[in-house]
Amino acid sequence: MSQTRRHSTRPGHAAKGKQPNRPTPAAKVAITFRLDTDRAARLQVIAEAENRSLTNYIETALLRDLARREEADRVITMYVAPAVSTSIHPEDVVRAEAESDEDYAVRQALAVELWSIPDNA
Amino acid sequence: MQPGAFVRVLLPTRGKPREPGLLHVGYVLVVARGECVVAYSTSQPWPSDTPLPSGVRLVDAQDAARLNQSRAFLLRLDVLARLPMTRDWFPDIDHPNQGVIAIAQPSLQTELTRLAVNVARRRRELLQICADRRVLNPPASPHHYTHC
Repeated sequence: MSQTRRHSTRPGHAAKGKQPNRPTPAAKVAITFRLDTDRAARLQVIAEAENRSLTNYIETALLRDLARREEADRVITMYVAPAVSTSIHPEDVVRAEAESDEDYAVRQALAVELWSIPDNA
Repeated sequence: MQPGAFVRVLLPTRGKPREPGLLHVGYVLVVARGECVVAYSTSQPWPSDTPLPSGVRLVDAQDAARLNQSRAFLLRLDVLARLPMTRDWFPDIDHPNQGVIAIAQPSLQTELTRLAVNVARRRRELLQICADRRVLNPPASPHHYTHC
């Protein structure tokens, strides 16, 4: 006689090995660090002002720093409005007031290059 | 509006990159055929322990005052927008001054143009390095060409 294994059907009590397809949060590693009392107190005040725990505030500050560093790694971010042209001719470039021929030539070359950069924002 | 102008402009944001966004003061780097390339500026202080990316020029309070701005700011020649010169993007373009706050002195214009040229050159060099790597290590499938 075969036996049927009974599975729990209560919400939140799924049987082992039968977990529903929920996204699992990324694993986190615990880091301990030391900070002087004054700075820790200041951070605590800022965290409370932002209605966060100190841990969450520090994590957010670190993520902001990482994002800034990643941004620094990107060389040029180009936003391109819809329906602007994709290329230009050097002679289309407007000359600045009293601009020397040399400076104007540099600006023309730069313009042609900038127009070749696709939207990467 | 002429190149070298600092102008009020609704620069796109990361959240809505194809739409007019927040009102900023931008620097008009190039103008051509009714369109322009504008560099972003920000008065947010840069963290002291983080090096400035190439293409970022600090304009101190003294120079900012000469440009009719109340405080020091960072000019981001590495963050640019290519925009049509229309009222949608330049809200004061129909005004007599077209929303222009100041015109950079010729020496500053030259410096900023050269800085932008250097950033563009660095980008080109990085692209070239990517291309060289692809030649040296050809990917198994053309789909792998999407990343360097």
